[in-house]
Amino acid sequence: MGTRPGSAPALDTMLTGLAQDEATGSLRVGKEGTVYLVRGRVSYVDCAATPGVEDLLGGSGRIDAAGIRHARQEAGPGGDGGALLVSRGVLSRGELEFCVLSATLDAAFFLLAPRTLRTRFRAGDAHWLGVHWFFDVPGLLRECARRRARLERAWPSAELDARPVTPLRRIPGTHALLTRLQWELLLAADSTATPVELARRLGHPAYSTLLAVRELAAAGLLAMNQAEPDGQPDEPPAALPRRVPRPAAVPVAGAVTDVNLLLRVRDALEAL
Amino acid sequence: MIGIEDCLSEAMSIPGALGAILVDHTSGMAVAARGIADPGRAAAGLSAAYRATLDGVATASEETGLRVEDVIVTTGTSYHLVRPMEMMFDGPLLLCVRLDVERANLALARLRLRAVTDELVAS
Repeated sequence: MGTRPGSAPALDTMLTGLAQDEATGSLRVGKEGTVYLVRGRVSYVDCAATPGVEDLLGGSGRIDAAGIRHARQEAGPGGDGGALLVSRGVLSRGELEFCVLSATLDAAFFLLAPRTLRTRFRAGDAHWLGVHWFFDVPGLLRECARRRARLERAWPSAELDARPVTPLRRIPGTHALLTRLQWELLLAADSTATPVELARRLGHPAYSTLLAVRELAAAGLLAMNQAEPDGQPDEPPAALPRRVPRPAAVPVAGAVTDVNLLLRVRDALEAL
Repeated sequence: MIGIEDCLSEAMSIPGALGAILVDHTSGMAVAARGIADPGRAAAGLSAAYRATLDGVATASEETGLRVEDVIVTTGTSYHLVRPMEMMFDGPLLLCVRLDVERANLALARLRLRAVTDELVAS
């Protein structure tokens, strides 16, 4: 991983510079992802850790991987693959815009975490989907910060972010209220898949999944104090019988989601 | 077929409309807005209100597979209409419109809002 602290400007400084120069092209960030800009505004972000438009479309069952490959080839460099998909009736224009917006914000949340990675800018490079939504750089960075704060409000600990999701066998109260995503997560949780891994499997944005997991934790429905994914279980996984009081559960300073840890866990899972 | 910006324009063309905002319910983010002074705050508030409504209604009702068509809040001066749209992989997306209570026709506004949201997700 090309992390050389101090040798390159921080990612947000870099993006702000490109925005001021009204740059058009792609900014590759380490091996983790790419930010696409059009005249200084962000049109798309992809990140290895989060599902992109291709995965979201695939997960929704609207089009398979081969269909996407075809559309991509047909659109060609500098083409508008998104418009092609809309004209084929794969999705509506509104859905395409929301899909791009959603995938971009999801990727930006993980990719643009405060850190320094080696970057490479390729002027004129464009994403195969074409341009369907814009974000100005300050707005995008603000939204990432807002989302981070939202996670903290839901459950102020990053403890479960990179761990396998493990629901309790018995819930503490007599009933629980679940959202649709939480239901899907509980069904898919196999005590080995992390939230980001489950997001990919279910075809949901990684951030929504992380938020749903933290809300499940806040509702006292998940096992805490599990062993590290690559470590030995130090305690029988009996879970905490009682909910940990919130203020006590804040060992985190600034509590930024540890993207590197998420990526390492993903790599380890893929290597299985 | 319409996009996100057209969907807001159409919502604003409903008689009596004062403001319209599209909110991503999961993240509580304002996607786009018209005639709303502070979209960020409005999005957070509307998203919290919608969630509380869902939880409350789900707890209070015997109905299974509960699905909310829309939420209507009436204040002294305005109607707030919140219409959820299930998106294919995430969501819902909320289309929220504030209407002048003197000028708006609530029944008509509901129908118009439904037509707009149907158009947004129809391919």
